[in-house]
Amino acid sequence: MEEASGFRKELVSKLLHLHFRDCKTKVSGDALQLMAELLRIFVLEAAARGVCQAQAEDLDVVDVDQLEKVLPQLLLDF
Amino acid sequence: MEEAEAEEQQRFSHRQRLKAAVHYTVGCLCQEVALDKQVQFSKQTIAAISEVTFRQCENFAKDLEMFARHSGDCFCPLRRHAKRSTVTTEDVKLLARRSNSLLKYITEKNEEIAQLNLERKAKKKRKPEDENRDFMELDADVVGSDS
Repeated sequence: MEEASGFRKELVSKLLHLHFRDCKTKVSGDALQLMAELLRIFVLEAAARGVCQAQAEDLDVVDVDQLEKVLPQLLLDF
Repeated sequence: MEEAEAEEQQRFSHRQRLKAAVHYTVGCLCQEVALDKQVQFSKQTIAAISEVTFRQCENFAKDLEMFARHSGDCFCPLRRHAKRSTVTTEDVKLLARRSNSLLKYITEKNEEIAQLNLERKAKKKRKPEDENRDFMELDADVVGSDS
């Protein structure tokens, strides 16, 4: 099975701990792996929806204008 | 106060490093999509997705922390739950509740991860037993060659 790109566990851990209010809060290893997957999906969705929008507008480059149109629904879905 | 300034500077650099790491991963993922769909992403788009992802992490983190803490706030007369300080996969699943397809995917991924980890643990347990077996075979060979 090919290893696709993704978020490393240590990065996810640091990102979460940056915003925890309680210094005692910890994250289980499994939860970190699952979060890495969730973030990966978030990015892939943003990218894929951007592509759909660009294709609908008959463009072959996804620019910020296209991304802006798909962002609201993306954030509502997450 | 110089110390406060130095600390502030350190926190800022740490934040910048994390943003850069997110940006790199986002870039890699966008490259995969670009290849797959034969469409390009402008640099600004990748930067924008990266920024949104970084900000979304703040929402995720705060929610996860609340979910874990909240698990101790139920007035169930049958059990006293201790407030949890460790975020678990159940908390992560709660994050994915807004979209049915997302929740389904995350739930399946969770089972995949659990299964993989179980298999890895089983492999680790087998290793020391294998080493003992090899050692004994070696002894038998030595005895065999003497005769």
